[in-house]
Amino acid sequence: MLQLFLIAFRNLGTHRRRTLLLGGAIAGVTALLVILMGLSTGMEETMLRSATTLSTGHVNVGGFYKVSAGQAAPIVTGYPKILEQVRKDVPELDFIVHRGRGYAKVVSEAGSMQLGVGGIDVASEPGFRQVIQVREGTLDGLAEPNTVLLFEKQAKRLEVKVGDTVTMAAPTMRGTSNTVDLRVVAIAANIGLMSDFNVYVPAGTLRSLYQLREDTTGAIYLYLKDVKQVPEVQARLRKTLTEAGHEVMDNDPRAFFFKFEVVNREAWTGQKLDLTNWEDEISFINWTLTALKGLTGILIFVLLIIICVGIMNTLWIAIRERTREIGTLRAIGMQRTRVLAMFVFEALTLGFLGTLTGALVGLGVCLAVNAAGVSVPEVVAVFIMSEKLNLAVHPNSVVGAMLFITACTTAISLIPSFLAARLKPVTAMHHIG
Amino acid sequence: MSLKNVLSAAVLAAALLSAQAALAMEPAAMVKLLSTIDDRQRNGGDYKALAYMEQKEKDKTDTVREAFIYRRDADDKLMILFSRPKAEAGKGYLRLDKNLWSYDPNVGKWERRTERERIAGTDSRRADFDQSRLAEEYDPTFEGEAKLGKYAANLLTLKAKQGVDVAYPVIKLWVDKDSTNILKREEYALSGRKMRTLLYPRWKKLFSESKGADVWFPEEIRIYDEVEKANSTTILIKSIDLRSLEANLFTKAWLESKSR
Repeated sequence: MLQLFLIAFRNLGTHRRRTLLLGGAIAGVTALLVILMGLSTGMEETMLRSATTLSTGHVNVGGFYKVSAGQAAPIVTGYPKILEQVRKDVPELDFIVHRGRGYAKVVSEAGSMQLGVGGIDVASEPGFRQVIQVREGTLDGLAEPNTVLLFEKQAKRLEVKVGDTVTMAAPTMRGTSNTVDLRVVAIAANIGLMSDFNVYVPAGTLRSLYQLREDTTGAIYLYLKDVKQVPEVQARLRKTLTEAGHEVMDNDPRAFFFKFEVVNREAWTGQKLDLTNWEDEISFINWTLTALKGLTGILIFVLLIIICVGIMNTLWIAIRERTREIGTLRAIGMQRTRVLAMFVFEALTLGFLGTLTGALVGLGVCLAVNAAGVSVPEVVAVFIMSEKLNLAVHPNSVVGAMLFITACTTAISLIPSFLAARLKPVTAMHHIG
Repeated sequence: MSLKNVLSAAVLAAALLSAQAALAMEPAAMVKLLSTIDDRQRNGGDYKALAYMEQKEKDKTDTVREAFIYRRDADDKLMILFSRPKAEAGKGYLRLDKNLWSYDPNVGKWERRTERERIAGTDSRRADFDQSRLAEEYDPTFEGEAKLGKYAANLLTLKAKQGVDVAYPVIKLWVDKDSTNILKREEYALSGRKMRTLLYPRWKKLFSESKGADVWFPEEIRIYDEVEKANSTTILIKSIDLRSLEANLFTKAWLESKSR
C-alpha cells in the first residue's frame, strides 16, 4: 500500500507541471467552495441572528384584536396573564420579552417614512443590545418616554440627528388620528432589511400612540435554550392556551403583517391569538437563503464538472504516456487491481493535496475578509441584514468540502484507471506513443 | 396707574365681555347650525358626481385622478369608482353596512379597509365624499366670530361625542355667517396636533327633486396636510346628478363589471 502511495507521489513529482496545474485547479475549486460556503453560512447566520432578535422570538404568541370587522390591530390584550401561563408551560425557556407592534408615519422637517414600529422595554431586552450597534446616542435613552431609535439610513432620509424631534402619526385602534412627538436618542448601524422598515420606541409610547391599555402588547417573544424544541413548544402552547380559554387562530406560517388581509376579510371581532415561530415570521427572507444556496450549488456543480473532466483527461494522457510502463509492470506480475489502485491513489493523493491547499487558502481568505470588515453594496445589505460581510467557516464544513472534492476526483479517476488495468501486457508493451 | 384709569379699563373690559357674550351662540343654536349644514348637503335620494383629485406630494410627481362618486343617502351607501388615469381605472371603494371595501381590478380582489383611511393615497378621507354628519358626531362650542378674507364667519370647535368613532376628535369650523356654508375646517389629532386644514372656496346649489329643496355642495375642496406640510390635495366636484341611480349599483358585482 505504502509502495503504491510512493509511486503515486513519484509520478506526481515527475510530472510537476501537470500536477501543479491540476492540483491548482482542485485547490481553486476547494477554496471557492469554502469561501462560498462561508459566505452563505455567514449570511444565513447574520440574517437569522438579526431577524430573531429584532422581529421575532423562537416562538411568538401574537394575535389580532378587532374592534369591528374591518379594523384589526396586531395586539395581545391582558398579556401579563398569558406571560405567566407561558412561563409555567414552557420550562425550555431561555428568556422571554414582549414587544408592541405598530405601523406609523414618521415625519421630520425634511421628509417622511411609513415604518413598522417596535415598542420595547430596553432594560429587559438582552438580545437587542447584542445586535444593535449604536453609531450615535445611547440605547439607554430608550428607557425615557417619547424617544425613538432610528437606523442610519432612516436618519439620513429624514435628515435628523440625535436630539432632534420627529412626529409619529397613526390611527388608533378605533381609527382616530393620533400623533406623538419623539426625541431621537439613538441612531444605529443599518442591519439590512430590518433597518429599512423598523424603528423602536418605548413600549409605553407606542401604547399611548394607539391609546392602548397598560396590559396590552404586540406579541410575546419566547427564546428557547434549544431552537430544536420550537415545534414541540409551539404545539404545547397551542393546546394549553386553547384550554385556558383563548381563541387561537389556525396555523398560518407567514409573518404577522402578511395576515392583515386575511384577518380583515373575516367577520369576527374581539381577540384571537396567533402562534408562530421564527421561521414563519422571517419566511420572507427564506427565498434569499434558498436562492443563495441554489446559486452556490450550481456554481460548485459546474466547477466540479470542469475539474472532473480535467482529471479524467489528465489521467488519460498519463495512461497513454505510461502504457508501456503498465505493460512492463503487468508482465512482471502486477495484478490488475494493483494497476487500478496505482492510478486511483495518484488521483487520491493529488485530490487530497489540492483540497488541503485550497481549504487553507479559502480559510485564509475568509479570515482576512472578516478581519478587514468588508462593506457590501446597499442592495446586498438589504438582503443579508448586515452592512459588513461576515464569512462563517465551520471546521466540519471545511473537512466536508475537502472530502467531497477528493471523493469526486478519486471517483472520476476510476474510469481511466479501469481502462489502464484492462490493458493486456503484450499490447501495452508494444504500444508506441 | 391712577384709579380713574383702572376704572376706565374695567368698564371697557366689561363692555367687551358683555358684547362677546351677546354675540355668543347658544348650544341649541350651534347644534341647529350643524344640523342645517348637514341638511343643506343632504339629498335624501341618490347622488352622482364626477370629481377630480389632484395630489401634490413632496419629492413626487403630481397626480390627477378622475372618479365618479355615487351616494344613496337613504341607505347610507357610498361608492367611489376611479376612471382615470388608465392605471387607476376600475379601482374603487364601496361602503356597505359600515364597512369600507376597496377593489383592485388588477388582482381582482376585495379588501376590507379602515373607514378612516386615506382614499387612493391622497389626503382625502371617505368622509370628504360622504354625507355630512357633524350634528350626529360632534358637540359644538362657540369660539367667537372670525374674519376670513371678506367673509365674516362663526368659529366653532367641535368635539367628538362619547362613543362615536371619528378620524379627528376635534374640529375647528369656520361657518359663513351669511350663507351658512363651511369656509374652513381644521382637524386635530387626539394629541392636539393639527392634522389637516380644508378650505372650501366655492359652494354651489342645485335643486333636488327627491328632496324638494336645494342641495349645496362644495365645488372645490383644498386639503392641506399639516403634518407633512408639502402635501396637499385639491378636489374639484363637477357635474352633479341627483337623479335616481340603478337599484343594484351599490354592489360588488356592479363595481367589478365596470373594470371588465
